[in-house]
Amino acid sequence: MKIEILLVGRGGQGILLLGRVLGVAMSKYANLYVTGVESYASETRGGESRVDLIVSDKSEEMDYVKVLNADIALFMYPYNLVKYSEVLKRDAYVFINSTFVKEHPYTTQKVFMRPYNEVAEKVAGTSRVANMVALGHIIAKTGVQKAEYVEKALKEIISENLYDVNVKALRAGLELD
Amino acid sequence: MRKSFISGNIAIAEGAITAGMRFFAGYPITPASDIMEYLAERLPEIGGVVTQFEDEIASINAVVGASWAGVKSMTATSGPGFSLMLEALGLAVITETPLVVVDVMRAGPSTGVPTKTSQSDVMQVRYGAHGDYVIPVFAPWSAQEAYDLTIKAFNVAESLRTPVILLSDAVIAHLWESVLLAEPGEVEVINRKKPSSPPDEYLPYKPDNDLVPPMATFGEGYNVIVESLIHDERGFYRQDREAYRNLVKRIVNKVLSRVDSLFEVEAYYGDDYKYLLVSFGSTARSALAAARILRKSGIKASLLRLKTLSPLKLETLRKYCDEAEKIFVVENNMGKLVHDVERAAENDKVISLPLLDLEIPEPKDIVEGVRKWL
Repeated sequence: MKIEILLVGRGGQGILLLGRVLGVAMSKYANLYVTGVESYASETRGGESRVDLIVSDKSEEMDYVKVLNADIALFMYPYNLVKYSEVLKRDAYVFINSTFVKEHPYTTQKVFMRPYNEVAEKVAGTSRVANMVALGHIIAKTGVQKAEYVEKALKEIISENLYDVNVKALRAGLELD
Repeated sequence: MRKSFISGNIAIAEGAITAGMRFFAGYPITPASDIMEYLAERLPEIGGVVTQFEDEIASINAVVGASWAGVKSMTATSGPGFSLMLEALGLAVITETPLVVVDVMRAGPSTGVPTKTSQSDVMQVRYGAHGDYVIPVFAPWSAQEAYDLTIKAFNVAESLRTPVILLSDAVIAHLWESVLLAEPGEVEVINRKKPSSPPDEYLPYKPDNDLVPPMATFGEGYNVIVESLIHDERGFYRQDREAYRNLVKRIVNKVLSRVDSLFEVEAYYGDDYKYLLVSFGSTARSALAAARILRKSGIKASLLRLKTLSPLKLETLRKYCDEAEKIFVVENNMGKLVHDVERAAENDKVISLPLLDLEIPEPKDIVEGVRKWL
């Protein structure tokens, strides 16, 4: 089993945090081999932030560290959507934040478009946790990881006073259709 | 063992802590800075010290001094900083000072492209300082190996009284991976030999049979001398050929005589191959993916990955090269390790694949490079 996950957003949308939480959940709690590569821009100036996650249950399957054939992809902002279609599997799960992305070029993939920012605003009172709504949505629809492990990872990484608002957002994501 | 999800740079910091390092001096430089940043929080919690100096020269000299004070010490930098450290690296060699220098490679020459990766320090780390010497150099390809090889680097530094280089790169530095961290007692940690003779009989540079002199620490009652000139067993300056040869040959041989335990390689698909890819560090991950792509299309490719870049055991390289029809040396520079492979193999079989990429090379670039020669 080898799964490639591509996470793309704008600096400040919490893409790196999302990748970290999922990485810890999968490596530490689900006991899988995980490689994560980050490339990022700043929140004030904007620009693309990206995390490539490669996951496997066998260490010998781990080689090249970037996504070449994504099983799962998330686009929180409309960056290079056409270019990224080259690295998506034909039947990949694609999650799109419709708050910022109004249209997409993906025809064969399983596409889910939801307004993560609005959902976050509604359930948690801030759109800053839209990343956790997206994460919840991803794990609910793909089954790539147990919600329980993701919540454990959240607890480990997020400071205590922000935990509740993040978990609220995550759970709202789990409920999205 | 404790499982964690950490970056290659943090893995180096944790490896150093596991090995007993308690003094770090450095000057920030991308992509090595977060080693110091992380240690600045972690080391004081366990009684260690982190100091930022005015530059890399002061940093490595402080590391030499701290090691002589009896504390396992380290610095971390990138290519431009390593250039500045070369003079003191030679000082560490001749004074037989155990220490570890981490070089997280980035694109050069000079300030180059600070945030982008490279493997172009292969020559600098091995041969940059003047004089005759051999310094062990280890090159990890994953966060786990960054952790493991940092521990090995300290163990070698301490047991042989030599500086050791950990050669990482910007890709490994910022790669987050599952890493098993050891609890105390779970991995071997070697500490330097102390003198067993009474202080009045102690000669600071008199080796035991293993070519390594026991090392007294300042303040323990022994006469300690840190001499950068050619010296005899007492540590006194000598300018005759005999003393010169004795010292330089011993410093070189104490490392070379351990080549069997120092030189490590890993072979993938090593039982059945026609084409051999030779690589190291982050690029070896792309090379392994390339070997798999080639094998899927019926081309019998394998990978030999060097974990040690110095000292090299040419017989081992030769053994793998002899089995191959063609050998491709895959590295993210203009072709440096290829010269060593050429020494080990028949020259007409060796093909240099210098990728000179600013990112981790894509497997398809390696596959294309190989296919051109088939």
